[in-house]
Amino acid sequence: MLQPFFDWLQQLPVSQFIGNSIWIYPLVQAIHLVFLALFAGAILIVDLRLLGVGMRTQPLSQVARDARPWLIIGFLGMVATGLPQLMQNASREYFSEFFWYKMYLIAIGLILIVTIRRKLTQADQPGIAGKIVGLISIAVWTGVVINARLIGLFT
Amino acid sequence: MMPLRNLFQWVSEFPTSIAIRESLFFSPYLTVAHVVSMCLFAGLIVMMDLLLLGIGNMRTPFSEVQRRLFPWQMLGMTLSSITGLTLAYSDPMRFYVNIFFWTKMLVMVLAGINALAFHYITYNSVMVWDTRETTPFGAKLSGALSIVLWSIVIVAGRLIPYNWFQS
Repeated sequence: MLQPFFDWLQQLPVSQFIGNSIWIYPLVQAIHLVFLALFAGAILIVDLRLLGVGMRTQPLSQVARDARPWLIIGFLGMVATGLPQLMQNASREYFSEFFWYKMYLIAIGLILIVTIRRKLTQADQPGIAGKIVGLISIAVWTGVVINARLIGLFT
Repeated sequence: MMPLRNLFQWVSEFPTSIAIRESLFFSPYLTVAHVVSMCLFAGLIVMMDLLLLGIGNMRTPFSEVQRRLFPWQMLGMTLSSITGLTLAYSDPMRFYVNIFFWTKMLVMVLAGINALAFHYITYNSVMVWDTRETTPFGAKLSGALSIVLWSIVIVAGRLIPYNWFQS
């Protein structure tokens, strides 16, 4: 269904330009990873706290509030550096199962962040629900990273 | 540099090195594990650096961040080192000629020196600035250097497959 869109994306002049350059794509990939580190840190600092194995003497809501701007910057940075990578290879990535696993998992992770995880981080005693959501969040984002790396290796 | 070259050459002929090199799936999965453990290590290092810079996680005393995140950072470092060393072990001659590999190694040493310098100099006075709104210059300098150096490590690491300057 989305294939025409992906083909359209790839034939855009800017996509061709990225694809034809020797160094733009590698450099964008590398910066994508730097933003990944920032995003992962902002996710982990809250999830570890939810699990009760991180900064457990700090109020959860404070840890979550402090982490939020970096979570947003990290995510936006990854979108900004992820799109050019997709554009120059869109027609092939459309057929990559890893690409789609990654997208589904990102959707699940984001929904989690703005719903249950947000509710729980506003409470100061997240209890067992907090532990479960913390674990699910770590698992989902780890799944995103694994599938993301596999796109590059097997597409 | 000949002894180093000989060492890399020698390791590359180990049967286990050859086995990993020739395996279809071992190296890709090692690479994946290396990136996942990098997230744990670099992610929590960056969170600490933002506090040192005085721009992030400011509601938490630094000593608390240090005490609670340190074990996770060490776990991340251990896993990254194991997966990274195994990758290097599996194909030493590929890395020996790669400028990005050596850049990464050198900058990692610098980042380590920066962390040690912070620990033995600025961290001694942590009780003075632990809960302050702002951090001292030494802390800001270490935080900024750490972010810059580890970012270079990540970028250089990702560029290793692109051997533009292969000698």
